[in-house]
Amino acid sequence: MSDSDAPATPAAAQPAAGRKVLCIEDERFISELYVRVLSKSGYQVDAIADGKQALEAAETNQYDIILLDLMLPGLSGIDILRSLKDPARQPPLKAKVIVTTNLEQREDVRADIEKQADGYVVKAELTPHELARMLDDIA
Amino acid sequence: MDHLSKLRRRARLYLFGILIAENLLAVGLGWSLYTFVHLNGLISVAVSLLLGMVLTFIVADQASRYLMEPLTALWQAILHLSPTEQGVAAPKIENLRFGRELVANLSSQIYQLASVADRAAADANKEVGDMGHNFIAQNLPLPLVLLDDTETIKFANKAAADYIGLTPADLIGKNVYMVLDMSFPSADTFDSWLKTAKTASVTATKSWERVRLNVRDNHPARLFDLAAYYNHGNPDGNATMLVLFDHTKQYSQDEQAVSFIALSVHELRTPLTLLRGYIEVFEDEFGKSITDPELQSFMLKMRAMAEQLTDFVNNILNVARIDDDQLELQLQSGDWATILKSSIDLMSLRAKVRGIDLQCKIPDDLPPVGVDQLSINEVVSNIIDNAIKYSGKSKVINIDAHLTQDGMIETTVQDYGLGIPTSILPNLFTKFYRDHRNRAQIGGTGLGLYLSKAIIDAHGGHLWVRSKENEGSTFGFTLMPYAQLTETMKQGGNQEITRSAHGWIKNHSLYRR
Repeated sequence: MSDSDAPATPAAAQPAAGRKVLCIEDERFISELYVRVLSKSGYQVDAIADGKQALEAAETNQYDIILLDLMLPGLSGIDILRSLKDPARQPPLKAKVIVTTNLEQREDVRADIEKQADGYVVKAELTPHELARMLDDIA
Repeated sequence: MDHLSKLRRRARLYLFGILIAENLLAVGLGWSLYTFVHLNGLISVAVSLLLGMVLTFIVADQASRYLMEPLTALWQAILHLSPTEQGVAAPKIENLRFGRELVANLSSQIYQLASVADRAAADANKEVGDMGHNFIAQNLPLPLVLLDDTETIKFANKAAADYIGLTPADLIGKNVYMVLDMSFPSADTFDSWLKTAKTASVTATKSWERVRLNVRDNHPARLFDLAAYYNHGNPDGNATMLVLFDHTKQYSQDEQAVSFIALSVHELRTPLTLLRGYIEVFEDEFGKSITDPELQSFMLKMRAMAEQLTDFVNNILNVARIDDDQLELQLQSGDWATILKSSIDLMSLRAKVRGIDLQCKIPDDLPPVGVDQLSINEVVSNIIDNAIKYSGKSKVINIDAHLTQDGMIETTVQDYGLGIPTSILPNLFTKFYRDHRNRAQIGGTGLGLYLSKAIIDAHGGHLWVRSKENEGSTFGFTLMPYAQLTETMKQGGNQEITRSAHGWIKNHSLYRR
């Protein structure tokens, strides 16, 4: 699913160049869409739908950005987030974790999640391009 | 024993001396009477016996008092200690003339015995008391947790262990925050209260509603009210006491009402995400190859409608939040011209596809306003959306911002369309209200204006409408300059201010990062 030809596209000049993104998303249409648009923007994207497999992949620590859905089969996004952002984790996770969800949380629950994650995005609120631009801004 | 035999020897010596002296006195008296007074021998004996008897009685009386002194002192000491004899003074042992050492010794033993007995009785009492407290604490049908000064759990009763889902042994000795993963509905949390209480109070009590206990292993979360008591320097080390009142059933029913909406919103958002995504991909990759202007406009309309639907979904959600008193605003200082223009930009596509021109007159020198950007964007969207829907054949909407005479920042949105009949103007901001004559022609949610009014009210502003049928409507709202808002809140500094749709809440600068 990764796009190794990224440097050939104009987008390669952007901050995306070669950065690795793990898209943890169980809605196949959405992950398809994100993989396509983010790859075109120069990211190398892997998509995994199952929570447990996704956590294993994330733990390889090879990703720069992790897009994390909350409602997942296998292991919930909250559990994945807790495990990845565990302060005792050695070595600490390199990736920035952006929670991407369409689930509406109570303010307090959302605030709890925001405290742990590096970003929180309602998928319906932004188009794939806007998402790509947002990732470009993440240092 | 030593003191006792010493005392006996002394008593024997004294009695011996007294008796000898008395006998000598009696014999001497009889002999003197017989020899010098030349009394009849018999009479002399009788007189000396009589006098001897009187003298013996006096001496015996004195001696018995003297010999009884130690016993009296001991009796007094015992009475002094007796709980039933009130007001008996302690004996003055140092004043004793006879048996002082023995009495001192014995009375000190009596006092010792008494204090041992006292202690035993007190211990027995305490044990009864502790057992009573333990019984209450242990069998209290409410979860009860005691913490020491370091927030380590010292005691958790059966109910607490059952409630948290661990054994008491698993709880005791653990830090409370490790075991009780609690979420509070606001920044006013248990740990922030405890921190303040520890620095500022000797004793403090506080209660919270709708606290959530996040239980591990996919168990449903528990919802409860929490009451806490703090006392500084408690002798048993029980600095903090927590009592939990379970309301999981009741609160989760309330939550389910919201979660039905949350679920619907989730189901709506997933296809919306995809529609907006696909539309973008199509525009991006095929946009240039579409030459048919009608198809081009279809593309734009598709995007505009997807945006409109997204806003509608958010309206549903926000109305539910307002009704549940869950909408919180973070009021921050912002440049109104910038904020308003970006909100208008988001509506430009929707105006464009209906051929409507949004004409803006927004001065750049307005004072900074105190706004929650996301919410105010919803207000602007809803009002412009409304103007677009009710524009009819008119193709211009005027948007204007200015400073009012009383220093508020007023924004007006004027359309020249259908207008609103006077009869329904008073109901315009009611939930679900819509002019039903127009229902067939014009879609509308009836939620947008209700939501806008709640948000503007929460900003401390005012939403109004002026309208004339067939001539159009003007919607206007005022916002407070940030400086005035902080003054109203009587606080300085560039802090965030949080408001709910139903009034002021509190300064909330720590709530979000």
